[in-house]
Amino acid sequence: MNAVYDHIIAILVVGMIFVGAVVVLPTISFANLQAVDQQQLRNTALNVFNAMLLDTGEPANWGSVEDFKMNDPRVQRFGLASAQDSKFYVLDPDKVQRLVVGNPLNYCDYNRVRELLGLQNYGLHLRIIPPFNVTFLSTSVTGDSLNYKVKVAYLDGTPIPNAQTYATVVCTKGKDDFNITQSGPVGTNPMGMCEGTVKLGITEPDYYMVTLRVTVADVATLVATSGEPFNNTIAVMNVVYDTLLLTSTKDPPDYNEPPNENVWILNIVAIGSQGSLWHLFTGTKQGQGNKFNTGQGTFELWDEIFPGLHDFDPVVFIFNFWAVDPITGQGRQQVLIVMAYPDILGTSVFDYGGSLKNVRGAAVKVQRSVIISSMTYTAELWLWKESP
Amino acid sequence: MKMNKNGQMRVIETILASFIIVFALSFANILAITPTSQKYEATELEKLGYNVLHDLDEQGLLPRFVYTEEWDNIIAALRVTLPLDVYFNMTVYDLDGTNVNHKPISYGYSETFTTSKNIASITYGLVGYPIRTNSTYQAAYDPRILILQIARG
Repeated sequence: MNAVYDHIIAILVVGMIFVGAVVVLPTISFANLQAVDQQQLRNTALNVFNAMLLDTGEPANWGSVEDFKMNDPRVQRFGLASAQDSKFYVLDPDKVQRLVVGNPLNYCDYNRVRELLGLQNYGLHLRIIPPFNVTFLSTSVTGDSLNYKVKVAYLDGTPIPNAQTYATVVCTKGKDDFNITQSGPVGTNPMGMCEGTVKLGITEPDYYMVTLRVTVADVATLVATSGEPFNNTIAVMNVVYDTLLLTSTKDPPDYNEPPNENVWILNIVAIGSQGSLWHLFTGTKQGQGNKFNTGQGTFELWDEIFPGLHDFDPVVFIFNFWAVDPITGQGRQQVLIVMAYPDILGTSVFDYGGSLKNVRGAAVKVQRSVIISSMTYTAELWLWKESP
Repeated sequence: MKMNKNGQMRVIETILASFIIVFALSFANILAITPTSQKYEATELEKLGYNVLHDLDEQGLLPRFVYTEEWDNIIAALRVTLPLDVYFNMTVYDLDGTNVNHKPISYGYSETFTTSKNIASITYGLVGYPIRTNSTYQAAYDPRILILQIARG
């Protein structure tokens, strides 16, 4: 009888130990298993980030190859580093441009990039964050003088004193007057604000646009543009290495929308990263070489190669078109469009990849300082595991 | 009766063996280096710090800021190049170990550098700075040692 009790007690004790082992041990090691998992994820993220920022990819100039297709099969390996620069963390703007979803000259989508990086069972999100913020507080024209007031602040809102602002103002009047003037630098005060005045060379212009190049401690530069916003139905401006290419604002062109029809390019001016101007093109209102029709024909409206454009390091393009007024819809006149290049060179954050909404806790983040078109940005990669 | 005692001993042995296994696993877990541990976070911060200092050096700005004592510009440059949540504290020494910067080069709450467990310390050396005189450059050998401490805020 005693032996039976002994066995029962022994079975109970062993059973309790077994249950304890099954329940307690995994609980003890779960946190560490999770941590080890995160460690592996962090290592993977570091390797992936290095591949993205330090490798040029294959072909080395894949961002600038002619007739780039959507998810172009010619791209064998993914990397954003510039092939022209031997320094670390210098990115090629043409390659970054190929990540802009909706790029009319095609791009690599999220799944294609994951496939190229061998990350089919992972999710990733790439952010390129500007180093600081520039906000226009006011712009006004009195006679032939333009006054602007801006605020420069760190990303947490703290004002930046002694930031240097360089202004480029482009303006038009009537049918023929077109002028570009530059001024600066003007330093910001302890509140991060500065006011500047630019002589326009034209009295009471019809249209004007101010582009500010703001530099902090000579290390970080941002470009901000202020102008009258309108729905651009004239053309989308694209840059691929040394080529400027204008495409229809609709892909394919939507002829149900009232087109601007015949459009002439009157002026194209590029602003370099150091503020220098390059008058790329000057045309007339009757020529054929600078004319395109937005109401018919092909998606690609006009293109021109400007040798040395890529090396010039353009950050802003100014286009002056002879087109139907996009605001009133009536009458042909000079229309100014200013475009930052690449698109991310504005004051907004560039986002690419999967949604971060539900994965923040499970994702790892790595950050690096990168240079695009001689401007400093913070690149941030989020990586997480996804079920196959 | 003898058999019963043997049975009890088996139970006690099993319990002891289980305790040993549990203890060993717990001990192994304590020794494991997790990604949230100081080592991994500090390594990541170190890489970030080197990356930023190297960038500034490549652009020729870091030597200029240090040798012409533009301490405000160093603060601004580090603030715009480091991510928003990274605090820093930099000290510049000469070869004798004398602190050269008479103004603090820092951003963030000073307590962070005493309370945070994840602080990375980066040592970066500069050998000199070329100064232009009469259209020629002269570079004097005058090393500076930069100690950059960074932590997540």
